[in-house]
Amino acid sequence: MENNKKNTALVRACCNAVVPGAEGYEMVVCPAADIYETSDAFIVEIDMPGASKESISITADARMLSVSSLQMINDSGGGEIIVNEIGKKKYHREFRLGTGIKLDDIRAEYKDGVLLITLPKADELKARQIRIQ
Amino acid sequence: MFVRFDYPKTLENLVNNFLVTDTVFSQSHPAIDIIEQENQAVVIAELPGVKKEDVKIEFENAVLKISAERKPYEVPENAKLVLKELSSQKFDRSIQFEHDIDAGNISADLTNGILKVVLPKSESAKPRTIEVK
Repeated sequence: MENNKKNTALVRACCNAVVPGAEGYEMVVCPAADIYETSDAFIVEIDMPGASKESISITADARMLSVSSLQMINDSGGGEIIVNEIGKKKYHREFRLGTGIKLDDIRAEYKDGVLLITLPKADELKARQIRIQ
Repeated sequence: MFVRFDYPKTLENLVNNFLVTDTVFSQSHPAIDIIEQENQAVVIAELPGVKKEDVKIEFENAVLKISAERKPYEVPENAKLVLKELSSQKFDRSIQFEHDIDAGNISADLTNGILKVVLPKSESAKPRTIEVK
């Protein structure tokens, strides 16, 4: 039981405040995310519509997982903007990591505008069944 | 509720511009941009996590209706939810156009969670120059 509690505390989201006007983009937004925990990994699912594989940067150190990307909507042709709810933005979000994540084995996949990051747990954190001899 | 996005400042604007009204303002309405170009209007919508086959686009009586369903990420069995922020599973939004649209030539593309609908103006709605004789 105690072990379980420890595990769920491993990944915590820290949502950054909105910073207007960075890098010529209108604003930096903190994309919404879901986090799941399985027996051997944490899975982070982040909504980032309009990013591209090339523009996404993911870095992880012992304390923080950091994700950022520009939203690349190619609206060639100019014209008059009548409704502007999407705007130009940069995604940025950080997740505080606990110990016990295999940093070298983090995998990421970007599909349909959603980024999926799998953070495998170190062996000592994985739940295991102990047989009574 | 009718929400008028376009606030014409002059009567001239009122006559010349696209008037866009929005009839759906529910929780699950996706963010959109609308751009009016010389010969077409472009509607861009954020649909993260939505696959091509789950989007439906209709155009009737000058109303463009976008509906989409987001199939939830297939969570592995026994996974625990650590953080839940993503909620919208269904997107629905209608946009009314007051310009003549060439309904037969509307095209749409969904890439990386961004839907782009191009609505060409019909011949009668295109701007033209009249020569003085």
